Amino acid sequence: MEAGSRRTPLREWHFGHGANMGNFGGYEMPLWYPTGAKEEHLAVVQRAGVFDTSHMAAIHVSGPDARWLLQHCYTKDLEACVGKSRAPLAPGKSVYGAFLNEKGEVLDDSIVAEIAPDLYLVVVNAGMGGAIGCHLSGHAGSRDVAVRDLTDQFGKIDLQGPLAGKIVARILAEPAKVLDSLPYFSFKGHFDPASPFAAAARLWDGTPVLLSRTGYTGEFGFEVFIQAERLVQVWKTLLSVGEPLGLIPCGLAARDSLRAGAVLPLSHQDIGAWPFVNHPWPFALPYAGDGASFTKDFIGRTALEQAAGAGYTYPFAGYDLRKVSAEEGAGVLDEQGREIGKILSCVTDMAIGRYEGRIYSIASPNKPEGFEPRGLCCGFIKVREKLIPGQNVEIRDSRRKIRVEVVADIRPDRTARRALKDML
Amino acid sequence: MKEISDLTVPVGLRYTKDHEWAERKGEKVRVGVTDYAQDQLGEIVFVELPNVGDSLEKGQVFGTLESVKAVSEIYMPIGGEIMAVNSVLATSPELVNSSPYEKAWLIELRPQDPAELDALMDQKAYLEMLEKAKAE
Repeated sequence: MEAGSRRTPLREWHFGHGANMGNFGGYEMPLWYPTGAKEEHLAVVQRAGVFDTSHMAAIHVSGPDARWLLQHCYTKDLEACVGKSRAPLAPGKSVYGAFLNEKGEVLDDSIVAEIAPDLYLVVVNAGMGGAIGCHLSGHAGSRDVAVRDLTDQFGKIDLQGPLAGKIVARILAEPAKVLDSLPYFSFKGHFDPASPFAAAARLWDGTPVLLSRTGYTGEFGFEVFIQAERLVQVWKTLLSVGEPLGLIPCGLAARDSLRAGAVLPLSHQDIGAWPFVNHPWPFALPYAGDGASFTKDFIGRTALEQAAGAGYTYPFAGYDLRKVSAEEGAGVLDEQGREIGKILSCVTDMAIGRYEGRIYSIASPNKPEGFEPRGLCCGFIKVREKLIPGQNVEIRDSRRKIRVEVVADIRPDRTARRALKDML
Repeated sequence: MKEISDLTVPVGLRYTKDHEWAERKGEKVRVGVTDYAQDQLGEIVFVELPNVGDSLEKGQVFGTLESVKAVSEIYMPIGGEIMAVNSVLATSPELVNSSPYEKAWLIELRPQDPAELDALMDQKAYLEMLEKAKAE
């Protein structure tokens, strides 16, 4: 199939609602709707938005050696990854990490969800189901494990924003039961009606879903995995029950600016064909308490241990909303004007602004009186030398040069980790 | 995205291949971007314009339109001296989307050669160009 020609079951709906469509990962996807990407971004920070994320792929890894295979290929230590106490991954829990090659380069990032001790759902990016499936199969050897690519066999809706809990409760058959004890990075149910786990989460009409307390916006919410043939009806129902609460459909442009403001990487752009070290996501690696050595062996480990000189990736935030293009020839300059690296992502988080130098969000409880954010340029740079938060650099493309600050975090007061009971 | 039949393309304006429009206003020529351009760019969040008094050649960049997704350059449809810039856009950049031909005019210039204006596309030629680009 030619690039951009793959479709999700919602394509006609997107077209019918005036979406500006673009290619992402080989799929024809909505970039924004007539409301505009700015309003979509603000809706997710202040109320709620829904995203069609059916272009994402997933892989079932099953069998007695499924856990062994993931321990071998994935950057998270499944025996020490859940919560502050570093508990082992258990049924109903999920984690974020990456798959690397022997050179320590990122093939893709992924959420791994343990459905049962011998069954895992590996969620990867659009178009990556085949490649990561092959990578896993190729390292299974004679082990007793089956790898099955589920690309295009399910749909997914991300419901994100502080009101997402109130909205999802309206489409669940037993909201009190399903939403009880569903902390961040946990899930219930399964989207396959034949799965023995399907009964744990059903919609009003009995449709089984895998309901996960994850998303990629930095805000409170859910990923709803569902059979492809039920996707359109569930999408429409969500919008009709959510509309009174300000729920709107959102495209990939808002998703991009939301995730960048939440300091989350875009695979193949902020992480990719270079060693997966010295970046703002150390939690995706199996670091021991010393923050330097690893607690397990995995593909790419040796390369990462020897990756001195691989460069450093940092988040940055600008002083107004003007951005530059992360195009060929764009670069990062230090205070002496020396070129020290490149721009990975550069977008505008429209929900934030500066007041006396400090960044506030439109959703910050302590925002200054009368504060109305105009948006700030933000993203990631990869540079040759170590920088520290607070340090300024210049990013430039062919048309402009902008002073930006290396930061530890971008959009403050995000809601992703808030307790579910406080959000209903 | 709008279909070509849904686009507003007023008769009487002149158009460029980069989707600027130009309109004669007495001695001056007013310049903006077309409905097609604003629809492609998405919501405009920032507009950068030149200084009054700058003299620029036809085809030179005179400013940028910044949407949430991208930054796009805008080009002089004809050469001339900048007489005025639309200062309303500094605080209301979204007017480029809602009123690209009226409230969101970008600059007014004094043409160095009024004949350059007549060499630009008329409404019919601009629509034909859009149709042709779509077919390709």
